[in-house]
Amino acid sequence: MAGTAAGGARRNRLAPYLLIAPGIVWLLVFFVAPILTLAQTSVEGHGAPWWDGYQRALSNYGTHFFRSFRYSLAATVLALVLGYPLSYVIAFRAGRLKNLLLGLVVLPFFTTFLVRTFAWKTILNDGGPAAWLLQQLHLLSPNGRLLDTTLAVVGGLTYNFLPFMILPIYVSLEKIDRRLVEAAEDLYSTPLGAFRKVVLPLSMPGVFAGSLLTFIPAAGDFINAQLLGGPNQQMIGTVIQNQFLEVRDYSLASALSFVLMVVITLGVVAYARVLGTEELA
Amino acid sequence: MSTRHSDQRDDEIHQLLRQAVSRRGFLTRTALGAGGLALGASFLAACGGKEGGGAAGGGSAGKTLRISNWPLYIDQKSIADFQAATGIQAEYTEDINDNAEFFAKIDEPLKRGQSIDRDIVVLTDWMAGRMIQLGYLAPLDDSKFPNRVNLVDNLKSVTWDNGRVYTVPWLSGMTGIGYNPKKTGRELTSINDIFDPKFKGQVTMLTEMRDTIGLVMLSQGKDPSTATSADVTAAAARIKKARESGQIRKFTGNDYAEDLAAGNIAAAIAWSGDIQGLAADNPDLRWIAPTEGAMLWSDNMMIPKTSDRPDLAMAWINYVYDPAHSAQIVAEAPYLSPVKGTGEELAKIAPDLASSSLVNPPDDLRARLHVFRGLTDEEDTEFNRIFQDAIGA
Repeated sequence: MAGTAAGGARRNRLAPYLLIAPGIVWLLVFFVAPILTLAQTSVEGHGAPWWDGYQRALSNYGTHFFRSFRYSLAATVLALVLGYPLSYVIAFRAGRLKNLLLGLVVLPFFTTFLVRTFAWKTILNDGGPAAWLLQQLHLLSPNGRLLDTTLAVVGGLTYNFLPFMILPIYVSLEKIDRRLVEAAEDLYSTPLGAFRKVVLPLSMPGVFAGSLLTFIPAAGDFINAQLLGGPNQQMIGTVIQNQFLEVRDYSLASALSFVLMVVITLGVVAYARVLGTEELA
Repeated sequence: MSTRHSDQRDDEIHQLLRQAVSRRGFLTRTALGAGGLALGASFLAACGGKEGGGAAGGGSAGKTLRISNWPLYIDQKSIADFQAATGIQAEYTEDINDNAEFFAKIDEPLKRGQSIDRDIVVLTDWMAGRMIQLGYLAPLDDSKFPNRVNLVDNLKSVTWDNGRVYTVPWLSGMTGIGYNPKKTGRELTSINDIFDPKFKGQVTMLTEMRDTIGLVMLSQGKDPSTATSADVTAAAARIKKARESGQIRKFTGNDYAEDLAAGNIAAAIAWSGDIQGLAADNPDLRWIAPTEGAMLWSDNMMIPKTSDRPDLAMAWINYVYDPAHSAQIVAEAPYLSPVKGTGEELAKIAPDLASSSLVNPPDDLRARLHVFRGLTDEEDTEFNRIFQDAIGA
């Protein structure tokens, strides 16, 4: 009897480790190992000193880094401005339509990212519907264009990552206890006051998660810049892809990837500090 | 013009193409190639049973021939005709948009000796040389290639594939300027027209370094067949300035054709035979060899060493080396055929085209054609770095 009890206790002690083991193995194989390989590649100078890749990454590609962060920041802000009201409506006002609306948000995922971006190429074409409409409204000059512009790239990023903003915000809004809003109103808060003091603060974890899920992949994206942008709209992701596949300068490409990772990590930590979300800061 | 005369001129053109890879480049490559071949051999030994069975026992029966080629590079009927004539099913995919981009897709599997699901790929001279040097190709089986006699004399051997063991040309072509007269409002004649501020944001250039740098070098009075680092830097500087000013809308692979047909751009650095294929969408489009000169190149058919149906591939290669079949292809993809007698066959089915400068360049045009110098691996990397910086990628 005693033996079984002890065995049970041992099993209980082991249980947490067994539960996280698959996750740890997965991380080791698919995250740690590739990162180490990448790190090793980034310091292979091929005759040049080991920091050669980093030196070239930092001295020649500043424009691309700044452009990437500018574009992905713009896309994140736009996605927030578009996504928050939509999430709010779905969570609080949609009633029976809630599931339908949520389904519509997720619907684009049924087609691949690439096909959707190609579709935007057709829509934004010089002779396409969007350019025609804007020209009729005199919002776009007759010689103006939408495709291969900054607007198209930022628009494409916003469109492609919008669901990643909407879903976390929706979840955090959905979790809010409605009685808190009712209590605020009982205590003579205006609807706006109740939103500002109750709903908004409680939805901040969603905003935080949504911003990260939009900003991080957008900063490293290369498809949107490649398909919807011109040569002056190329982002750091395009450079990395190009250095890996076209030029085959692996140490520069790996160094660029590392610089991008470090900058994003620092940015995220700073953002977490400012926003003060407990779980991360 | 007499046939003999035209053959002699073909000799001159092909003489140029033969030098596409320099002797020096070839020597360094052969040394590397030996290592590649050794690797290939050990791979073959490792899975000898399977490979052997496929080659010896006619294991290709009932299998489909899979070909990768560039867009706008064949007529509508040849594949069906080939299937009817030989009973071989063929799957023709236009998935090569840019040499380096395509190479990046097939490099890893070929290095590991895995199938790329292709039995024939068509790549430009310099890339074909790299494929041989890396040991990625299976030699052509001459016993299944009686039409080899139709290969024009001067392309029978090139520096990067001595005796044409691994490759034969698909078609040769020129790089010049394609434009839409409706959008330019005038005829174009010079490479400098691409830089005309009137066409700001309405021109594209190619991501193929040799095409774009070569053409811009010609505009600066430099000869791409003797390109130096300084020449490339000067050409890249002109491209970079134009790119930064917004003159150049995009750097593209073969997909420039879509932009040209859709009317998104007024002019593009373009390949000579593509425009006819676009005529269905936009009959106004034109292609010119600029007064300063144009680039000349060949694309070559080759069989990846991991193909398990090389006999089907040989059947296709032999089929297109029949002058009548080559003429049928050239009738819709007007490039320069490497197959003897194609001119006569073309005169029967498309008399207008047979005298066109696209398939039969006149003397003054031939004199303006240049082949980019063969580069060593170090030069290739250096020139590419300069070029990638210029195009902002």
